[in-house]
Amino acid sequence: MGSLSFSRAVQAVLLAVALLLPLAAGPYWIHVGAIAWYYAMLAASWALLAGFAGQFSFAHVAFAALGGYASALGVGLLGLPVGVSMLLAIVLAIVTGALIGALVLRLSGPYLALFTLAISEIFRLILVAEEDLTRGMLGLPVPGLFSGQSDVPYYYLGLGLVVMAMLAMNWLLSTRVGLFLRAIREDEGAARASGIDTTRYKILVFVVTAVIAAIAGIYYGHFIGILTPNIAILPEMGLVIAMAVIGGIESLPGAVIGAVVVFLLSESLRAYGEWRFVLMGLALILVQRFAQNGLYPMIEQWSRARAKPRAAATVEDRHAG
Amino acid sequence: MSYFLLLAVNGLVVGLIYALVASGLTLVFSVLKVVNFGHGSLYMLGGYASYYLISGLGLPPLLGVVGAMVTLFVFGVVFERLVIAPMYTDKVERKDEYAIIVTFGLTILITNLALVVFGPFAKSPPSFMTGALIAGPLILPYDRLIAAVAAVVLLVGLSLFLKRTALGQALDAVSQSRESAAVIGIDPKRMYTVAFGLGSALAGGAGALIAPVFALSPSMGDLPAVQAFIIIVLGGMGSVGGSVAGGVLLGLVQALGVGYLPDPNRALAYTQAFGALLLVITLLVRPTGLFGRPHLRLE
Repeated sequence: MGSLSFSRAVQAVLLAVALLLPLAAGPYWIHVGAIAWYYAMLAASWALLAGFAGQFSFAHVAFAALGGYASALGVGLLGLPVGVSMLLAIVLAIVTGALIGALVLRLSGPYLALFTLAISEIFRLILVAEEDLTRGMLGLPVPGLFSGQSDVPYYYLGLGLVVMAMLAMNWLLSTRVGLFLRAIREDEGAARASGIDTTRYKILVFVVTAVIAAIAGIYYGHFIGILTPNIAILPEMGLVIAMAVIGGIESLPGAVIGAVVVFLLSESLRAYGEWRFVLMGLALILVQRFAQNGLYPMIEQWSRARAKPRAAATVEDRHAG
Repeated sequence: MSYFLLLAVNGLVVGLIYALVASGLTLVFSVLKVVNFGHGSLYMLGGYASYYLISGLGLPPLLGVVGAMVTLFVFGVVFERLVIAPMYTDKVERKDEYAIIVTFGLTILITNLALVVFGPFAKSPPSFMTGALIAGPLILPYDRLIAAVAAVVLLVGLSLFLKRTALGQALDAVSQSRESAAVIGIDPKRMYTVAFGLGSALAGGAGALIAPVFALSPSMGDLPAVQAFIIIVLGGMGSVGGSVAGGVLLGLVQALGVGYLPDPNRALAYTQAFGALLLVITLLVRPTGLFGRPHLRLE
């Protein structure tokens, strides 16, 4: 109860700050914030996939690339309206997510990680090689969604997408599916023996998280205006993993906060060059070693521990008074 | 014909280096049941260690390789004790994910530290031996020849060590069953540390051997690491012979693919994608790999 209300209060305050930020911040930080929403969507959906369901995938940024490229090519190559092209990209993510989910049913742990790493690399290499289609490393231009130079509309669109993704994932976790996913993570055999259709739910979690990653990629492509295969390189996946793990791999708000904090920190420490990533790698190892569930759940727990004595104290005060 | 021979020999040299990287990875996997996602950064670190040992202390190049292996052995032991060892206690949940995250974190840490400390520009250590072996149509620079021969010596040495020495057999025993090994008085935790140290030393040795052939850069470990993942899955986890077969196969496919396919950009991308595709197909169709040992099969 204590932790729940704390978490809700924190989320409400942060949402209010995020909503009001464009009033105070300059165009640079609005731009940075709009990119942060991209990472927030990726980190939170990866936390659902890897943290809750135990499917440690390295292919998450590849799904973002799939969404971004599909939507851009739908407009540029097929001449579709932007809305239709986006829908097509999402359908493609559903099909691909289901396919990958079905292929990896028998794999777990390091094998799953290696498999998804290889799939992700193959996809990225195709994007590099098929220059006629994707313009390779030159970058594929993507039409914008809003007229005008301001990033404010994108900022609010990104924020809205993050909120919607969080609501959808929270709803999913509050149903029986959430329990099933955790049961699969803890012991797949036991889960199956208890009558859970593990095949169905593993594919489901791949589809749901692939769709959110693809939406993030679609948003990012149309916002930035150009896509290169570097959107799916391993260090990008590392960034998403670090964000989710540092914030809390088993906490959706933790992953979002982790993504925003890590990204804002790395932007504000630009003057320190690669030291930022040295720090991030170190933080990743240290958090995993000493606070495996991430920093946000730790703060949550700490506030609960503090809230209890204070509640007791007020009762005593009342008695004394 | 001579073009083919040239490509094939170069592919073979690179393949043997890949095999050496993969043998370290597979040793760590078979004993600790951990896939080291930081293996490529240890390879890179080995290259730089030998560079600084040679240029700083004035060691002869081959001793620089030995020094790099010793340095990386110590590094591996310390990292295993500090970060991986807690995995075997009850304090760590979700052990598979823990191992992936800390070793992957090591890559982020070391690669970026190398960018800051060593700089982004390529460095080239001195040759083992200048000149080239010329035999008919074949021209093979001595650096490549020495790297290949040293890789073979290390691979044979590793096989003999694992089969013929008490420590090697203890490592093998732990790889087959922790519990049974503990029953006959082998301390599995000590073997984990030894295996991780040796695996790091093999990666470092490979990086040091390739350093005079290709230049050193902080990202030099990325490609060999992915190749090593492919090789250990293809050749079979825990098999040194499988590492050699897989390494040579990948080295040849890449050299010949880049040499013969018409469009160089596509050729480079698709020869790399081919390896990744082999990994995907192997995991789906034959998870024990081509030469995998049955007790190390996929769970």
